[in-house]
Amino acid sequence: MKINTIYILITATLLLSTVSCKKELDDSNVNPNASETAQPDYLLTAAIKASADTYWGTTNNMNSSLLFVQHWAKIQYTDPDRYIYTNTSFQDLWTIGYSKGIINLNQMIKQADAAGTPNYKGVALVLRSWLFILMTDAYGDVPYSEAGDIKQYLLPKYDTQRDVYLGVLADLKTAQDALNPTGTAIAGDILYSGSISNWKKFANSLRLRVALRIADREPELARQVIAAIQTEGGSYISANTEIAQLNYKTSPNQNPISNLFDTRDDYRVSKTIVDQLAASNDPRLPVYVSKAAETQLYTGVPNGLLTADAAALGLTRTSKPGSYFLAPAAPAVIMSYSEVLFDRAEAAARGFTGENAAGLYSQAIDASLQQYGIATSDIATYKARADVQYDASNYKKSIGNQKWIALFGQGLEAFAEWRRLDYPQLAPAVAGALNGKMPVRFIYPGTEQSINPDSYKAAVAHQGTDALTTKLWFDVN
Amino acid sequence: MHLVQPDFRRKNLKNLSMFKLYKIVLGVLIPLFTAQIAFAQSVTVSGTVTEKNTGVAIPGVSISIKGTTQGTQTNTDGKFSISAKPSDVLRIVSIGYTAREITVTGQTSNLTVELEEAQNALNEVVVTALNITREKKSLGYAVQELKSKDISEAKEANLVNAFAGKVAGVTVTNSQGDMGSSRIIIRGETSISGNNQPLFIIDGVPVDNTQNLGNSSISATAGARDFANPISDINSEDIESMSVLKGPNAAALYGSRAAAGVVLITTKKGKGSKGLGITVNSNTSFSSLLVLPDYQNSYGQGADGQFSYVDGKGGGTFDGTDESWGPRLDGRLLPQFNSNGVPVPFVAHPNNVRDFFNTGRTLNNGISFAGANEKFDYRFSYNNFDQKGVIPNSSQSKNSFLFNSTYKITPKLTLSTYANYVNSSADNLPGSGGKRSTSTMLQFTWFGRQVDINELKNYKDANGKDINWNNSYYSNPYFIAYENTVGQVRNRLIGNVELNYKIIDGLSANFRTGNDNYTDRRKIKVAYGTNGTPFGSYEEDAYTFNENNTEGRLNYTKSLNKDFTLDVLAGGNLRTTTLENNDQLASKLAVNGLYTLSNSRDPLISYNYYTKQKVYSAFGSAQLGFRNYAYLNVTARNDWSSTLPVANRSYFYPSVNGSLILTEAFDIKSDVLNFAKLRGGWSKVGKDANPYQLINTFGFIAPFDGNPQQYINSTDLDPNLKPETTNSTEAGFELGLFDNRVRFDLSLYNTNSINQILSLDVSTATGFSKKLVNGGTINNKGLEVQLGFTPIKTNNFTWDISTNFSSNKSRVKSLYGNIQSYILGSDGTVQVLATVGQPYGSLFGTAFERNAAGEIIVNADGTPAISPTKKVLGKYTPDWLGGITNSFTYKKFNLSVLVDAHVGGKIYSGTNSTGTYTGVLESTLPGRGTENGGLSYYYAGNDKTTKAVQVPAGSAAPGGARVYDDGIIFKGVLADGSANSTILPAAQYYKGYTNADEAFVYNATYVKLREIKLGYTLPQQWIKSIGLQGATVSVVGRNLLIIHKEVPNIDPETAFNTGNAQGLEDLTLPGVRNIGFNINLKF
Repeated sequence: MKINTIYILITATLLLSTVSCKKELDDSNVNPNASETAQPDYLLTAAIKASADTYWGTTNNMNSSLLFVQHWAKIQYTDPDRYIYTNTSFQDLWTIGYSKGIINLNQMIKQADAAGTPNYKGVALVLRSWLFILMTDAYGDVPYSEAGDIKQYLLPKYDTQRDVYLGVLADLKTAQDALNPTGTAIAGDILYSGSISNWKKFANSLRLRVALRIADREPELARQVIAAIQTEGGSYISANTEIAQLNYKTSPNQNPISNLFDTRDDYRVSKTIVDQLAASNDPRLPVYVSKAAETQLYTGVPNGLLTADAAALGLTRTSKPGSYFLAPAAPAVIMSYSEVLFDRAEAAARGFTGENAAGLYSQAIDASLQQYGIATSDIATYKARADVQYDASNYKKSIGNQKWIALFGQGLEAFAEWRRLDYPQLAPAVAGALNGKMPVRFIYPGTEQSINPDSYKAAVAHQGTDALTTKLWFDVN
Repeated sequence: MHLVQPDFRRKNLKNLSMFKLYKIVLGVLIPLFTAQIAFAQSVTVSGTVTEKNTGVAIPGVSISIKGTTQGTQTNTDGKFSISAKPSDVLRIVSIGYTAREITVTGQTSNLTVELEEAQNALNEVVVTALNITREKKSLGYAVQELKSKDISEAKEANLVNAFAGKVAGVTVTNSQGDMGSSRIIIRGETSISGNNQPLFIIDGVPVDNTQNLGNSSISATAGARDFANPISDINSEDIESMSVLKGPNAAALYGSRAAAGVVLITTKKGKGSKGLGITVNSNTSFSSLLVLPDYQNSYGQGADGQFSYVDGKGGGTFDGTDESWGPRLDGRLLPQFNSNGVPVPFVAHPNNVRDFFNTGRTLNNGISFAGANEKFDYRFSYNNFDQKGVIPNSSQSKNSFLFNSTYKITPKLTLSTYANYVNSSADNLPGSGGKRSTSTMLQFTWFGRQVDINELKNYKDANGKDINWNNSYYSNPYFIAYENTVGQVRNRLIGNVELNYKIIDGLSANFRTGNDNYTDRRKIKVAYGTNGTPFGSYEEDAYTFNENNTEGRLNYTKSLNKDFTLDVLAGGNLRTTTLENNDQLASKLAVNGLYTLSNSRDPLISYNYYTKQKVYSAFGSAQLGFRNYAYLNVTARNDWSSTLPVANRSYFYPSVNGSLILTEAFDIKSDVLNFAKLRGGWSKVGKDANPYQLINTFGFIAPFDGNPQQYINSTDLDPNLKPETTNSTEAGFELGLFDNRVRFDLSLYNTNSINQILSLDVSTATGFSKKLVNGGTINNKGLEVQLGFTPIKTNNFTWDISTNFSSNKSRVKSLYGNIQSYILGSDGTVQVLATVGQPYGSLFGTAFERNAAGEIIVNADGTPAISPTKKVLGKYTPDWLGGITNSFTYKKFNLSVLVDAHVGGKIYSGTNSTGTYTGVLESTLPGRGTENGGLSYYYAGNDKTTKAVQVPAGSAAPGGARVYDDGIIFKGVLADGSANSTILPAAQYYKGYTNADEAFVYNATYVKLREIKLGYTLPQQWIKSIGLQGATVSVVGRNLLIIHKEVPNIDPETAFNTGNAQGLEDLTLPGVRNIGFNINLKF
């Protein structure tokens, strides 16, 4: 009897506690560490900051594209300057681009659609387009249509570069339509402080950039895009005050270049650009280049020396980038007024528009020099030089050379335009490891081989070997 | 048979209700019956219980009258006295010894009962799940036990290391260096992504062994310090025994966390002590480096054969270079870092790395008091552990207090308590890994071989200026050791209270609540002026952990009739676990030398995290015994976990196993075959998730210019998560032969873990880096053999050989959808993967480009081509493990020698890769200089962009071009199939290897002389006179020698942390050997 009573008691206790326990179990799993909702302005700030950091930062800029276009060179650990990379070297653009940039922007778009705030959607689409352009410019075929949607696509396929550019053009048109300067204001905009009209100009400028990217392959499409912008009555970035750039602050929000030079001393300005600036007496020389500490001379370092040969030049006898670029608050330029003018000049030269190519070319040089505060008289002197004059018989050469100088520091854009325009004609790194060739793309991140192998293999099959030397679709010749 | 079955079932049902009635009737009758016994004529039996080999008295032995609950225990002198009636059978049982039964014949005094140490056979008693002691023969699964002497004499700073080589099926990966974590895995990895280490239980209470590594997004220690796993808090001197319950069969009753096995720790008790039983133990040990890379001593710092020091950061000739491709160390005169611009002889300092390290020393002193009377017993111990490490300025210490007691409140009600307070503190833990501000091995692997380390000891000159051999990337290694410190303090209290009530004979109720609570605080200082961190930094990282387990249980034991015995239990457990992490970093200090969080230039970077988890469980088990030779065990448990969605919250899992003692069942009585047992079982264990894995969240990072930043957390979570399940079957066979001088135990198992909760790596193109899924099946199968021999056994001399062997084969059978690989970890371009169709832990990395014939393709410039496609380079898990212990006992001397082997598996060595790149390793000597077989060559017009032209050694080049003598031709073929003939300078030749991970993957096989112990028990007649009851002295060596290994320059047994990304070595600290002296005195 006694045992039975005990059993009943215990069973009853267990039953009772089970009921009260359910609520306790529910309460225990409410996550106290993070929010289940997001604010669009906070997402926007984070997306801009993360994207600008990686665009201007070490892996995609200083340690790769700036070396390829011979803006910068390495003075220590010269392997990258000799084109020796592994498949983890280019992971950053991909990883941050998708998992910090595109996913945040997709979330913004989703929330903007739900909340009826089209300006957030427009801004998000513009930024997302910029990121897709950066990625396809660098890698070629990349996930676009299936990117950033994990519930549907766990193993996103890679879209061809053509499809990515065309998709981006459509997205930018959607953005243009969504953006309305009289609509609901946005916050958290650390690029344009909430100026929707500037965002509209930036969107059109990106459309112009992409139109030219595809111009060698799809001239008719390119022409239509530019014509459409004109028909819409759209305008482009039209002053240096409208440049799309992130103005960095002091530490911990300082410019990535300043951050790196705080603790390391691996980079110098390339001999190629120092010699070019010096030869043409370019007033941007003292802006772009610092004097060597010991010699007080502007001395560039040849790209791709063996470690020993680079070190032999001496850290104190070679030039670092100019203080303008080393400052903690230096801007990361995403798209400059001068680039837009060069693009318009090229569109005119290609006959896509009826504008004056030579005039726009000249204005582009003005804009670039003014961007760095060069005095008007010095600008005139510089532009008067024969080697700066526009050559209508070879617009690619004139625009290519001057754009290359104007894009100093914007490694990824300079790398894309150098490949497309084929000017300036650069010599490969001294001790380059590509059998006399130069890199014309980034290698895909190695992790794709293990975690998205089928999509990766399909892209390689379509585009060619996953090597630095495989030419991309837009890069004709 | 099928015809009979229905009938049989009905009969069974009838029996069941009959049984219920029978039970109730018994419940009333038994007290009456036992009362009657008291009236029977009693005699007193008294005597001493001693250990058969040594003759030493054994205290705390339980003596009971078989079939009743009457019993007593021996006191500290091993003496006992009990009332019994003639023909009663006395059962004498002590853990670790073979139980004995003696029939009472009449009044007896001075009876001597010798107990023999149990050797895997017959009547050994072991501790099983829920701290139930069972005769080993009744178990249907494998259990292996370590006794106090296996643990306490050869003390290890980390308790886990005591298992190495001693227990079949257990893989231990020792700490790097002399402090840090150790990883223990039982029967292979069963969870693809989760914790694969066993659950640790002390006296019935689960204790935490999670290695808190620091949050990688902000912590300077993440990846740079190897914090010891918390089980190392436990003082080995307090341990009576450690049982290893291998695999889910043995551990099913513990539920979720026991899928990877259980280590049950039983502490020493005061039971049976008389007076003040004082034991003093003192252990002193010294440690020195076991392995250090073989460095070359022919070439010093620099590049291109040149070097001259000005400022150590590029002001001179290659003085900023942190590699050893410089001039010959031939005594030529060159300005060096310590010569103030004066040229001094450039010579080798072969021991410059070794001389940086000290001899480590560990003091471990403890005292314990124990006492007991009829109603009360207790044991109190205090232990102090103090270690000075082999790395300058590294140290750690531990103070441990343990009190446990048992109080018989009434004859039926017993209260037991256990409280263990541990204060572990370290002023500075050694820096590992590759961080410039803290690493020890980083700058010795990027090093100038000429550096005289003694000249660096004073790391500031008279003007307070830092002195170092290189100022472009490194701070002085002594500066790092003394100024950039990581301190840790852990205060831990483990305790439980247990009430046991004997309701009636055979039925008892048990209530226990236990707590494990610790705070772990770390202070991480990086000094002003540290290269790479010019303003220094300061971080405080704190963890608070608490786990409570409250459990109620009913136990019922009954002999049903003369053939059947029954043991059943049922109970419930409530578990609540909380963990809080609070980490703050001042990334740049405002002023020098002050380590506070407010002394910061930048806003503080903060991280905090809180988790709470609750699991409710109900469980039951039953053992049915038949005539002492056949046993059937059944367990069942249901958990309700807070971490799973409501619909999947409850999960049930049963197990069944059985054993049959063939020798008794078939009445085999033979001198040859003493014992034979068959066992087998099947079990299922469910496992829940970590907290907060259901709903996606958004995190915050520091604001930009007043704008808060929010981002989507990088793991896509799953609101429909299900529990994961591990199914396991095992079978075993045990044999005792030739008077038990040959003992054999074989286990075979097959474990399938399905529906695993995986945080799967996904292409970041999805927007996430991980996705939490239920998926993945991993299969582990293996065998374990334990074989013991006693080749010689005389009165004075015994030679015992005990061997164990285990082999585990794992295979990842599926992951999720079309996903083929799961990334366990990576180092540079090498990844450790769980790939479908492959064994767990495959190494995946870059490889040389090869042609169809397997020859390496060489680029036009003479360097090897790297394939754009990564390859599987091996797996890290071993093929088999084995250990052999030879122990010799001669009179009072005991010598034991343990050798263990780890065979198969691969390891990627970052030390070898980096050391090859920098030219510091001896392996980079071939080809450097004519004397090492180097080719002589020159470049036309000294233009290095031209192809090198070979000349005979010693001859001049045309045009007076510089002639080099370090030319090597990479063995391979050009794309057109012709043999490569391009001469490369040695530096380029060796650097060319480092782009292929393949070149630095080695066989991880090793054989180690793990342990030698020599002990001496002082004879009673000597010590009695000075008031001692027992005294032993011993000399112990651990990790003495690597008898065989295949990876150069490092110890292949290196854990960087306790996670699953093993098989990667990168600039880890060299392992150590320990030699120590132990004295144990009993008063």
